[in-house]
Amino acid sequence: MNKDNFLQKLTKICGSQNISQDPKDLEGYSKDLSFLKGKIPLCIVSPSKSQEIAEIVKLANDLKFNIIPVSLNSKFKQHGDSLPKNDSCVILNLSRMNKILSIDRKNRVVMVEPGVSFDQLVPILKKKGLRLLLPLNPTASKSILATALEREPITIPRYHWDSSDPLLCTEVVFGNGDLFRTGTAAGPGTIKQQQKMGQAQVNPMGPTQFSPFRVIQGAQGSLGVVTWVTLKLELLPSTQKVYHCQSDNLQDLLDLQYELLKYRLCDELFILNNLNLACLLKQNPKVIFELVGNLKRWNLIYVLSGRGSLEKKKVSYLEGDIDEIKTALGITFSEPKVKISAKEILHFLNEPCEKPWRMRLKGAYQDVFFLTNFEKIPKFISLMETNFKEDFGIYIQPINQGTSYHIEFDLFYELEDESVVNIIKEKTLSVRNQLIDNGAFFSRPYGIWAKDVFSHHSTETIDALKKVKKIFDPNNVLNPGVLCFDD
Amino acid sequence: MDEKEYQKMVKRCVRCSVCKWIPQVQIKSQKYASACPAIDIYNYHPYSGGGKIILALAYEMGRIKPTDELRDIVYKCTECGNCAVSCKYMSPLEPLEIIMKFREKLVDAGCGPMPQQQAYIEAVKKVNNPYNEPHEKRTNWIPDDINLDPNAKVLYYVGCTSSYRRKEMAIAAARIMNEAGVSFNILQDDEFCCGSPILRTGDTNTFEEILNKNLDVIESKGIETVVFSCAGCYDTFKVDYPLSRKYNFKVKHTVELFAELIESEQLKLTNNVPITVTYHDPCHLGRNAERYEDWDGDTVPLMPLVSINIPPKPKRTGSKGIYDAPRNILKKIPGLKLVEMERIQEYAYCCGAGAGVKSAFPEMAIKTAKTRIEEAEDSGADVLVSACPFCSTNLQDGMMDKNSKLKYYDISELILMALGLEPEKLKQAIAEVA
Amino acid sequence: MLEKEILKEFQEIVGVENIDDGEIMTNAYAYNWCTEFVNYMEEKDPIPFSPIPKAVILPSSTEEVQKIVQSCNKYRVKFKAQSTGLGPWNQPSTENSVILDLRRMNKIVKIDVKNLYAVVEPYVSGAQLQAETMKYGLNIHMPGAGPMASTLASHTSMAGPGFTSPQTGYSARNVLGTEWILPTGEILRLGSLGLKNESDWYSGDGPGPSLRGIMRGWVGTKSGLGVFTRVATKLFPYPCDTKFVLNGHSPIYDFKIPNYIRAYVMDCNNFKHLEKSLIRIEEEEIAFICSHMSSYAIMAIFSYSIESLIDKMAFGGMKSPLLVVIAARTKREFDYKQKVMSHVMKELNLINIIGTRYEPESLFYAECLRTNLGYHGFIATGGFQSAKGQCDSAALCLRAEMKNIPLKQKYIEKGVIANDFGEGAWMTSYESGHFFHMEAPTFFDQTNVESVKGMGEYMEESNQMDLLKHLGVPFFIEGDKLHNHWGPHLMNYHKWLRKIKETFDPNGVSDSGFYISGNEGGIEKRE
Repeated sequence: MNKDNFLQKLTKICGSQNISQDPKDLEGYSKDLSFLKGKIPLCIVSPSKSQEIAEIVKLANDLKFNIIPVSLNSKFKQHGDSLPKNDSCVILNLSRMNKILSIDRKNRVVMVEPGVSFDQLVPILKKKGLRLLLPLNPTASKSILATALEREPITIPRYHWDSSDPLLCTEVVFGNGDLFRTGTAAGPGTIKQQQKMGQAQVNPMGPTQFSPFRVIQGAQGSLGVVTWVTLKLELLPSTQKVYHCQSDNLQDLLDLQYELLKYRLCDELFILNNLNLACLLKQNPKVIFELVGNLKRWNLIYVLSGRGSLEKKKVSYLEGDIDEIKTALGITFSEPKVKISAKEILHFLNEPCEKPWRMRLKGAYQDVFFLTNFEKIPKFISLMETNFKEDFGIYIQPINQGTSYHIEFDLFYELEDESVVNIIKEKTLSVRNQLIDNGAFFSRPYGIWAKDVFSHHSTETIDALKKVKKIFDPNNVLNPGVLCFDD
Repeated sequence: MDEKEYQKMVKRCVRCSVCKWIPQVQIKSQKYASACPAIDIYNYHPYSGGGKIILALAYEMGRIKPTDELRDIVYKCTECGNCAVSCKYMSPLEPLEIIMKFREKLVDAGCGPMPQQQAYIEAVKKVNNPYNEPHEKRTNWIPDDINLDPNAKVLYYVGCTSSYRRKEMAIAAARIMNEAGVSFNILQDDEFCCGSPILRTGDTNTFEEILNKNLDVIESKGIETVVFSCAGCYDTFKVDYPLSRKYNFKVKHTVELFAELIESEQLKLTNNVPITVTYHDPCHLGRNAERYEDWDGDTVPLMPLVSINIPPKPKRTGSKGIYDAPRNILKKIPGLKLVEMERIQEYAYCCGAGAGVKSAFPEMAIKTAKTRIEEAEDSGADVLVSACPFCSTNLQDGMMDKNSKLKYYDISELILMALGLEPEKLKQAIAEVA
Repeated sequence: MLEKEILKEFQEIVGVENIDDGEIMTNAYAYNWCTEFVNYMEEKDPIPFSPIPKAVILPSSTEEVQKIVQSCNKYRVKFKAQSTGLGPWNQPSTENSVILDLRRMNKIVKIDVKNLYAVVEPYVSGAQLQAETMKYGLNIHMPGAGPMASTLASHTSMAGPGFTSPQTGYSARNVLGTEWILPTGEILRLGSLGLKNESDWYSGDGPGPSLRGIMRGWVGTKSGLGVFTRVATKLFPYPCDTKFVLNGHSPIYDFKIPNYIRAYVMDCNNFKHLEKSLIRIEEEEIAFICSHMSSYAIMAIFSYSIESLIDKMAFGGMKSPLLVVIAARTKREFDYKQKVMSHVMKELNLINIIGTRYEPESLFYAECLRTNLGYHGFIATGGFQSAKGQCDSAALCLRAEMKNIPLKQKYIEKGVIANDFGEGAWMTSYESGHFFHMEAPTFFDQTNVESVKGMGEYMEESNQMDLLKHLGVPFFIEGDKLHNHWGPHLMNYHKWLRKIKETFDPNGVSDSGFYISGNEGGIEKRE
């Protein structure tokens, strides 16, 4: 490839001021906190319009270079999915596309570009009486669009109607450079024309007999570059009553959360071990450890919410129903050593955090996360405990209205200690394999462990995924080497 | 059903498949959701009620010819009417009547009835019963101690199956009437087949002859009430005969009569019968035993494409079948516990024998019976009881084939037990013809 | 009839008794509801028979289906899979086809109470599955087509709106692990079902991208992209006491109404207020059913015959009716929901005619719980189908309904469709009001040729209006002709859809009559 020619053409598309070849910047994109080492990209291009992206992707097809879309770069990137795997990669930095395109209170939907972060949107929505469906204490500077595309679990499982929620419609540039809109955003008509007819781009399905948004989601930018999304919103409650149940008996809490979710009795609902809860509540490692010592091992957190003039009546009936359930289960909770205030819990539930909360303990972490069913949760915890003598964080999140569970094990370590880093690397790879052998479903495979995930999955699935890749990105332009799409 | 209505209706099936299931709101389990023995066994859609309507339409349009394959599909059906109950929950279609008329057309085309059914029709013509038994042996079932009153206004019409095969039922019915002091007579040698097994094959010409012969006899004797212990005979007299020829006498099934006698204490049930029973509703005593009501109204176009009947046309939905009488009897038997199967009353599953299936497709009859028996077993009962000799025969055949631990009694036998009398142990275990 | 060699091969797979290539059987399977106007829209004779398949096959297992599909590839015979089989989209588009009637595949494989899903084969009806899940206090999503329809078919291959959608969503969004025989004969197991070790049904997505994206969209592929043999679908809490006792006799059974269930029928008077009411009520997340219907349709759901419909004049004059049903497990939940309704009705100035001007039969509540309300659509003329079917915001749905009225009235005046004053509509909320869909049930007489033609023309004109006025995408945009027509207005989606078809069905054996065919650019004419 003629590098001058390619730069010239890129310049023509989005202007020289939006192309960077600063070595420091380039190096920044070649590494992250995963164990992968990426290549130095050719340049960083920062478009501001979908049309520019379409042209860039078409150019990539013509001139045979690769594109790695990055919604918002950050020093906290963890999984290696946007590291260049070869020497022909261009970083498509989407941070200039940072508009909140529309907020629709009536239809409970927001339309955002990739560069919109949590700290940008959450307060604006709050003022309008709306809220996003958040993952657990997301990083403030993280791209909301990217989070939705990664199928990150949300903390309110009763609002998780489908695994794809809260993602609705998308505008995307496929790997061949074609611009497309998914769901009802596809048309007929432009977005403006649709909105004139009252449409709000809230139905993600289609158009017609396929739902391409589902293949884009979870693809780590390897099938299309998403230029905006619509996301489901919920109304902000006017009251939130927090319940924090501590127990040494995990099964009690699992049984209780099952009933709460089955009957849709609460909003936020998840279980954390004492270490992860302490990390969420406190900033300082010493204080974290102190709190760990005063919390019971398992912590179920659920929130009852109400809105408007009947808020109290709602919470009251929910409490009544829940008390009946607890009685039927024979579950009681003893007085905790330390009571955590609702305010503290609501803070991490409702507000994003400056720096990833998982980094508070030791500065670095590796997260091992997968999906499983209700019955297998204790088995996987035992398996981890067999492999790791040191404390690690545990997060159990029911998803998709209780049809499965996201389990996450957070292994904390100091980045500066190389020997520890190598041990963590080996151990996490090895434990992932053990987990897979025992039926853990790594539905979101990243970086170095993706290969193991796919080698334990049916060949028909891999073949089908490769066929889909060939359809939407025939020349393998977009983020090659991720998932099962070999470079 | 007249030809005009038939031609209209065969075009109207929407293939919704409700005919395969009991009424949707009555489904209590996956296992006992289905209504139609034919499609349950043979699986292809044309075996369902709606499927046969489609065949009827294809036949009228000349798309299919009268062949053995067509005949077999149309005759692999007990005409139980369960499809009609489900369909007519909301629709004005008449699946059962369409099937019956379709059989008539096949007979006219020389493509029916089935050979085995032809054989028993010939037997009826020759010896007045489908079992090809000598006519003179028809009254052999009568024990010496049964009192008959030649002047009685009540006639007990025994029927071919009770006379020749299920004699214990005839004896039980007679003994109960004696016990209650009900004066009754029988037709002796003047009793002939009611014609039900012939009507259901589509041979309406032979049926008409039999109908007239029977009515001539009964009307000549000044009878006021005819009592039947066979659901098939009862239904035929009550529902089918008046479509061709009206008559002045009343018709009753023994369960209706016995329920009245128990209620008025003419029959006192004092003996303990400590069993758990479940009751099988015979199709011809239940959903099909609902009379056609005369309708003198008009079909009025309300607006283009929409017509209504003024006054509303009576619809036979199976709601007026005889369901309460047998249950009331059972509840009055001391010590007896009644448990219900899931499919009962107008949506009861067929025993499998009717409309000539027992003779032409014995394996279908037995398979269907075994399905029903399993349902009875699942109800928790130790005894299966019904009120029809034809159901009795087929269900008992099924029980034998299945090695079921259930016992079978006709309801009249249980009444005898409750009266302290011993039911006649004259059950015959030979395979049935029709 | 099949060639001898092919027949023999199929017989060896399923057994002689489970395949029939005779004239009788194949003709019977060529018939379906609405085929007459579909034929007319394809410029064929408006009869209710499609092309006659060469044979009908009854497989009993995934393995048998796989072998059949492999044989179809070998001999280049198309296959069309169906289960309960309601509707013209179950019909083959060519005589060079076999129908796979999946009736023998009727197992409820499992009901996983702790993980809130059920796994079913094709021939398990909604009522059958609900009856079993109720034993555990759980419920299923049933499509508006009714409880006699196949749960699997609705979730994998058809559409999936339901009366209970405020609480049970839409079929496509309730799909978890899926067993799918691709047109090439490979068995694709979606999500966690594809794990080599300890596969399970709880997830239908990944690893990585979700192949549910090519499996179906707003509507399914209707056997155009293989055969689905098992699917896991989400379960929901049963909304009230599960005791379901009906006494009396058909059709007006006497239902023992559970303690905590209540219906509201309110007139919102105009579309603007209706939109406001729908959204306001759904924001409160209390409704089990929240549907707008035309006044005619409201009359119909409380009626069991056309004559009894005429009696329902309490609703006759309603301009913008709204049906809400609330249900609860506990008294305190019920009290709260009633309070909310009372509060919202006061705020919106709505009056409930139930309990004042009208008291429904107890059976109505049984039909709400068993989702049997849609079946009432057949009362008027015996035939109906829905035009429209778009899904997005309430405003869009109501605008589509509004704009449809004069078009519908034009055909009513021609006397080819029944007069429901043009407003015939069913609109339901999804997932507590996050989106809505609207369809326009239209009553025609399938035995009247002019009515059939009129219905066909009306459907075409209604579709075209949606296209030109940007009113969203109706249900029945399927088949090459319509995809080629609509595609250019919807980001050329048809090119992507065609690529999917070409890739996954290179031999074109999965009948594409109601999907899309693989030949680039051209229109594969249905026979």
